[in-house]
Amino acid sequence: MLPLLRCVPRVLCTAVAGIRAAAPSLPLLQPASRPCARPFGLLSVRAGSVQLPGLLRPWGPCGCGCGCGGLHTEGDKAFVQFLNDEIKEEKKIQKYKSLPKMSGGWELEVNGTEAKLVQKVAGERVTVTFNINNSIPPAYDGEEGPSEGQKVEEQEPELTSTPNFVVEVVKDGSNKALVLDCHFPEDEIGQEEEDQSDIFSIKEVSFQSTGDSDWKDTNYTLSTDSLDWGLYDHLMDFLADRGVDNTFADELVELSTALEHQEYITFLEDLKGFVKSQ
Amino acid sequence: MGAVAPAAMSLVVRNLQRAVPLRRARLREKVQAVRRALGVQRFDLGVVCVDNRKIQQINRIYRDKNTPTDVLSFPFYENLKAGDIPQPEFPDDYNLGDIFLGVEYIFQHCKENEDYYDVLTVTATHGLCHLLGFTHSTEAEWQKMYQKEKQVLEELSKHTGTRLQPLSRDLF
Repeated sequence: MLPLLRCVPRVLCTAVAGIRAAAPSLPLLQPASRPCARPFGLLSVRAGSVQLPGLLRPWGPCGCGCGCGGLHTEGDKAFVQFLNDEIKEEKKIQKYKSLPKMSGGWELEVNGTEAKLVQKVAGERVTVTFNINNSIPPAYDGEEGPSEGQKVEEQEPELTSTPNFVVEVVKDGSNKALVLDCHFPEDEIGQEEEDQSDIFSIKEVSFQSTGDSDWKDTNYTLSTDSLDWGLYDHLMDFLADRGVDNTFADELVELSTALEHQEYITFLEDLKGFVKSQ
Repeated sequence: MGAVAPAAMSLVVRNLQRAVPLRRARLREKVQAVRRALGVQRFDLGVVCVDNRKIQQINRIYRDKNTPTDVLSFPFYENLKAGDIPQPEFPDDYNLGDIFLGVEYIFQHCKENEDYYDVLTVTATHGLCHLLGFTHSTEAEWQKMYQKEKQVLEELSKHTGTRLQPLSRDLF
C-alpha cells in the first residue's frame, strides 16, 4: 500500500516535501522528450534571446496533447499520478461514505466546511455550529514517526477532527441568544492531564442578539478560565439538558471527522483537475 | 505553623464518560456536604467520573485487579494516619488528591429503592475517607473507617432526612 499523504496533519510545506519525495526518478522539470544537453551550471538565458531556459520550456500550446493551453510539466504529470493514487487510497480508508447521523433529533445543514446542527427543544431553538478547517490537532513528538522496528503501515494514525463548536440557545419569542463557545481538549505532552479532562469544555459564554450576524465584542464575554466551578457545572448541566452532552460531543467528532475527510478527498480531486487543467 | 489556606479550596468535578447521564451540579453539592462534614473544605479535591472500561483499566494498572469497581482513591498524602487532617506548610499542599467514581458500576449496582445520588454520596464518602488515611485491610482499621463514614453520613442525614449507610458496612 502506498504511504498516505496525510501521515501527519497537513502543513503545506510538509505535504509538498512528501510529494517531492514520492516523485519518480526523472528530474521534475525536464520535458519528457528532450534530454538535457547542458550541464546545469551552464544554463542561462542569452541576452536578447526570446527563448526560455530549456528546463522551463513548456511543450508548446500544451504539447501533451490535451489541447487546453495550460502548462503541463513532467512534474505536473507526476503530481497528477500521485494524486490519483492518493485519492484512491483515501477513498479506501474512508470510514463513512455518507455523513453519520447524530442521535437526538438534530438536523444537519452543511455549507462547505461549516456544519450546523439544529434542534427545537420545548420552546427553545438550539444551534451548534462548527467548521472543519484547522480542526485536526497537531501530533506531538511521541506520535509523529514510526518507532524503532515498527512498520510504516502500522503507524498510520487515525486522524480525528475535533473542532471548536459554538452552541446558541434562543428561547421562543426572544431576540437574545445565549452563546457558549466549546472546545475539545488539546493533546498535551503530559498525557495524564488529558486523560482526566472532560470530553469537552466550555471556554466562553456571552449573550448575542439574534438579529446580528456578527459577534459583538462589546457584549460581555464570560471566560471560564477562572470561573467558579459550581457555576461551570451548572452551565454544563444546562447544555446536557439541551442535548449537548458527552454522547453528543463524541458523535460530533465522528461527524466532523467524516466531513473533513470528505472535504479533503474533494480537495484532492479538485487539485488533480486543476493541475491537469481539464 | 502551617500556611494560611483560603476559605474554601476547589472541588473539581470531571465527567469522562457517557454511559450514565450525570448532573454535575448535584454531585458537586453532595460532595461539598461530605467535605464540610469531614472538615476538609479547605483542601483541593478532584472527583473524576468514569465508566466501567476506564475504572477497570485504572484498577488493573494500580491494583492489579482486572475488574470494574465503584471507587478508587489517589491520595495526595500517602502516609496519613487515619483521621489526621493534613497540616500543610505551603498553600499548594492544601490538596487531598483525586477520587475516581465508577459511575457506571455504581449505577448498575444501584438497587431499585435507592437514590442514585445518595449512593454516589456514600461512595464519595468512602473514597474521601481513603484520602484521609482510613483503610479496611484489618478489622481494627475497618472499625475506624466504618465509624468515620457513619459519623459523616449521620451529619448529612440531619440536613437531608435520608438515612445513608456506610459503604464499608459489609466489608468485614
